[in-house]
Amino acid sequence: MKFILQMARRELRASWRRLLFFFACIAIGVGAIVAGRSMLQNANVAITTEARRLLTADVQVDSGRPWTPETLAAIDRVSQPIIEARTETIESPTMLRPADSSHEGAMMIELKGIEQGFPLAGDFKLANGEPFNYSLIQDNGAVVSLALLDRLKLQIGDDVKIGGSTFQIRGTIDQEPGGGSGFRIGPRVFIERAAVEGAGLTGFGSRARRKIFFTAPADKLRPLVRQLRDELKNDLVNVRSYKESQENLSEQFSRAEDYSSLTGLVILVLGGIGISNVTRVFIDQKKKTIAVLKCVGATGRRITVAYLAQVITMGVAGSGLGILFGKGVLILIQKVFADKLPAYMTYGLRVGAALQGLAVGILISLLFSALPLLRIRHIKPNVLLRESAVLKRGAVDLLRWITAALVMLGLLLVVSWQAGSIRVGLFFLGGLAVTTGALYVAATLLIFLVRRMRRVTSFALKQAINSLHRPGNQTRVIVMVVGLGVFLVISTQSLQSNLLHELDLGREGSLPNMFLIDIQKDQTQGVSDLVMQLTGGRPLLVPTIRVRITAINGTDIDFSESEARRERGRLSREYVVTYRPQLESNEKVVAGKFWDPTPSSEPEVSIEESMRGLVSTTSNSETHARQGGLDVGSTLTFDVQGRKLTARVTSIRHVDWRNSRTGFMVLFRPGTLEDAPQMFVGAFNGPIGEVERSRLQRTLVDKFPNVSVIDVADVVRAIERIVRNIMLAVSFVGAFILLSGALILIGSLAMTKFQRIYEVAVLKTLGAKRKVLLRILLAEYGLMGLVAGVIGSAAAVGLSYATSRWVFEIPWSFTPVVNFGGIGATIALVTIVGTLATIDVLSRKPLATLRAQ
Amino acid sequence: MLTILHSLDLIIPDGQFITVVGPSGSGKSTLLGLIAGLDAPTEGEIRIDGKSITEMDEDALAELRGEKIGFVFQSFHLIPSLTALENILVPMEIAGMRDARERAQQLLEDVDLVARAHHYPSQLSGGEQQRVAIARAFARDPKILLADEPTGNLDSRNGHHVFELMVEMNRRRKTTLMLVTHEHELSALADRRISLRDGRVVSDSDVKITTASGSERRIDLTEPAEEPVEASGA
Repeated sequence: MKFILQMARRELRASWRRLLFFFACIAIGVGAIVAGRSMLQNANVAITTEARRLLTADVQVDSGRPWTPETLAAIDRVSQPIIEARTETIESPTMLRPADSSHEGAMMIELKGIEQGFPLAGDFKLANGEPFNYSLIQDNGAVVSLALLDRLKLQIGDDVKIGGSTFQIRGTIDQEPGGGSGFRIGPRVFIERAAVEGAGLTGFGSRARRKIFFTAPADKLRPLVRQLRDELKNDLVNVRSYKESQENLSEQFSRAEDYSSLTGLVILVLGGIGISNVTRVFIDQKKKTIAVLKCVGATGRRITVAYLAQVITMGVAGSGLGILFGKGVLILIQKVFADKLPAYMTYGLRVGAALQGLAVGILISLLFSALPLLRIRHIKPNVLLRESAVLKRGAVDLLRWITAALVMLGLLLVVSWQAGSIRVGLFFLGGLAVTTGALYVAATLLIFLVRRMRRVTSFALKQAINSLHRPGNQTRVIVMVVGLGVFLVISTQSLQSNLLHELDLGREGSLPNMFLIDIQKDQTQGVSDLVMQLTGGRPLLVPTIRVRITAINGTDIDFSESEARRERGRLSREYVVTYRPQLESNEKVVAGKFWDPTPSSEPEVSIEESMRGLVSTTSNSETHARQGGLDVGSTLTFDVQGRKLTARVTSIRHVDWRNSRTGFMVLFRPGTLEDAPQMFVGAFNGPIGEVERSRLQRTLVDKFPNVSVIDVADVVRAIERIVRNIMLAVSFVGAFILLSGALILIGSLAMTKFQRIYEVAVLKTLGAKRKVLLRILLAEYGLMGLVAGVIGSAAAVGLSYATSRWVFEIPWSFTPVVNFGGIGATIALVTIVGTLATIDVLSRKPLATLRAQ
Repeated sequence: MLTILHSLDLIIPDGQFITVVGPSGSGKSTLLGLIAGLDAPTEGEIRIDGKSITEMDEDALAELRGEKIGFVFQSFHLIPSLTALENILVPMEIAGMRDARERAQQLLEDVDLVARAHHYPSQLSGGEQQRVAIARAFARDPKILLADEPTGNLDSRNGHHVFELMVEMNRRRKTTLMLVTHEHELSALADRRISLRDGRVVSDSDVKITTASGSERRIDLTEPAEEPVEASGA
């Protein structure tokens, strides 16, 4: 044992520099895992410990409809004996405009009416740091998000109009209690709850959401939630406690954490491939030392273990460095993104994450060096007597195969452990194997083709092509890893460009880009005329009725079932339906027969194809089997504003959502719903300029205060931001892989540098000037970069095409700037890195080199 | 297959000093390598201390070498990443010897290199490197010392020094010494001389007799070879 440790220590003294770059890859991979896991664990802790503050209470009951007296009575009956405090809110999207008619602009906001006591949990601070004071909003006061002031150029003290009332802005907020997450249609505005009703925003057709919040003693929370759910199970209200959100969030976070870890694993596996190659070259270079050791009595096994100890040491060092690197990333995130992340977030390194990173780093080093280290067994001591003594190897090396199998198994276990599932682990490994395999084959092929060009007349180019085939050179591995990084970066860039192009407003001039909602039936004529007057075109006005599904094929949906509750999103959500005699151009019947244009008093519906197969209950499998899923001929029972209505499904439609900005899951045949309470939505093409669009919104809202105008441009901007952020994250991963590619490049060059030094010495002796030698280097790395860039770029075309067509279902177009620019950038990167890593060989004096050989 | 070494029969008694001479390619190094178990004969048997080594596996051979055989190469073969002292330490550490460091110091003294203990091979001259190699070969007090043209890469002064050192240590430790050399003056000092040519033993004068007149005479004991022995190799 002592020998093994001593040997490992002494050998490392000499060889660590050569192995360094590969273990730097380990450091990057481990750093990515440690930083990702720590970050998400911190967020998890922050958000779950803040779950109560995020909900602003212990328990919340919410509904999309006005509370009925019965519901309120039931809630009170259950809650009164238990709760400590209670408060109510109403939230509604609506329009806001400056009261001063000379002040331009109007915009969609998210209005929240609150009562004294809000929030029951958490702080409510104004932007100036002072605590929120309820008196600020009393008597038609408003506290608004800072973003609103920016957008409409308003100041504290200005009056604004919301619905039919005027409010004075008396304070601003940066972060609202419980909020700040998710997609927002507009900035938040707080007013008194009673004032929401006063402004006429809670009447028929309003989209107001009402919430009742409670605090209760911790041990009474579960019974309270259970009793509320029992009592309200048929009321279509939601009950939730912060503890449940805590559990849900925790689960989601740990899943996110596992996926983030896979990013680090990609880098680690690539680093591992580098390690595997470098270990092979390293053992080749150590052939004589190993022979000497065998000659003086060391067994193959002990030598193998001594070299294994070196690899493990480097693995530990690399992983340790990775943990530091992870810490650095966390500090950077805190510095750069702290204002975009929750204020109560911490940025410390998590011990669990660090230990996992360490373990994974060491395991990967071990697994990838195992096979090359087995070569030690085949080195015969007689190489000391004869240079040319061959490596003898048995016909079937059983140990090698067993080790290879164990390595694969080990790798699968490590990946599955990190991914949190064997299935994901298998997919990940399989996907990575296919991708790297394909890149490797492509690299081999391209390099072979380049070799065919050896007859070129340029001396430098000829030498460079030869250099790509230098024994021990890691050309294919370098090309593969760099190619993979380039592939990821270019794919995301190209996909981003395609996605943003799809969102581009100007391109789809034929589709409406402004929407009107909440138009009352008696306002339709007035709205239509005004739009005509402002834009020269009439808006398309569509009646909408909000309904819920209560039964399928006569079987009531049982919401007390947990399965049904999970499906609830699909089943019990409010469906916005319409009625019309004909199909739209973006619709196609896929089953059944669409009705004749004539109205019919017999209720008939046409459903969208994704609703096919829905069932009302899952607990009774017999019923389930008997009734089958929703299909042509089934019946659907709806709750239309409190009235039950059963309709027969006569057709199923495919809706091309892309080719329209409206679409309905459920469509009624005319003749049934005309008299039901309904609201109209409208769509039209607004003017091009931003100022004109804003002015138009203002004019419409001035005349019809209850109507909201949604500018698609605003929505597109919000989506664009999200797309850019996601693509930035993916590009980040690609950049990390490129970085490890660069490290593997440097490491491989360092490994074979002595050959290069010798060649340069010989060429110098033969009369080559340094300029020629430099040209050889540039040509070699340029070729390498070209091959890697072409492979990455070609693969990226494939990926971005596939994702565009089949995942996002958008038309794909080639992005020459991204693709060719990417190839150029790769050539530049590889040439610069490679040349910098080897330029010192040019300045060595040849004599010393030649003498040493 | 190329036959490097034809059939031969050799018995080397304990403590004998033998030289093996012959032109390049005559099979001297192969013979030495076979005895050390660095290579295996395609036919025949090699016994050390009465035990056959021909059927031993790699690991058993390594242990045997560690315990009983010291080897000195023409091109030294020191481990470049280790200092002189560490190179001498290696065999003793492999064996897990307790007093390795003291012994290594002593051996350095024996070869007169105490001052160079912490130098790396690349910082030593050829003669010094070979002296380290000799110290390493004697590290575990082997019963047999095999030397493959140990002075071949050295100038005559250094060569002489190294040779004297080996003979001297051999005498002191009563080791069996088998030395491959080109140089006839060196072989004259041995107890026995084996000449090889084209893989055959052409003479084996194993007794050194001093005649009355004071001149030395060797008696040739070679028997004609019959079956060829094939040795693997390039």
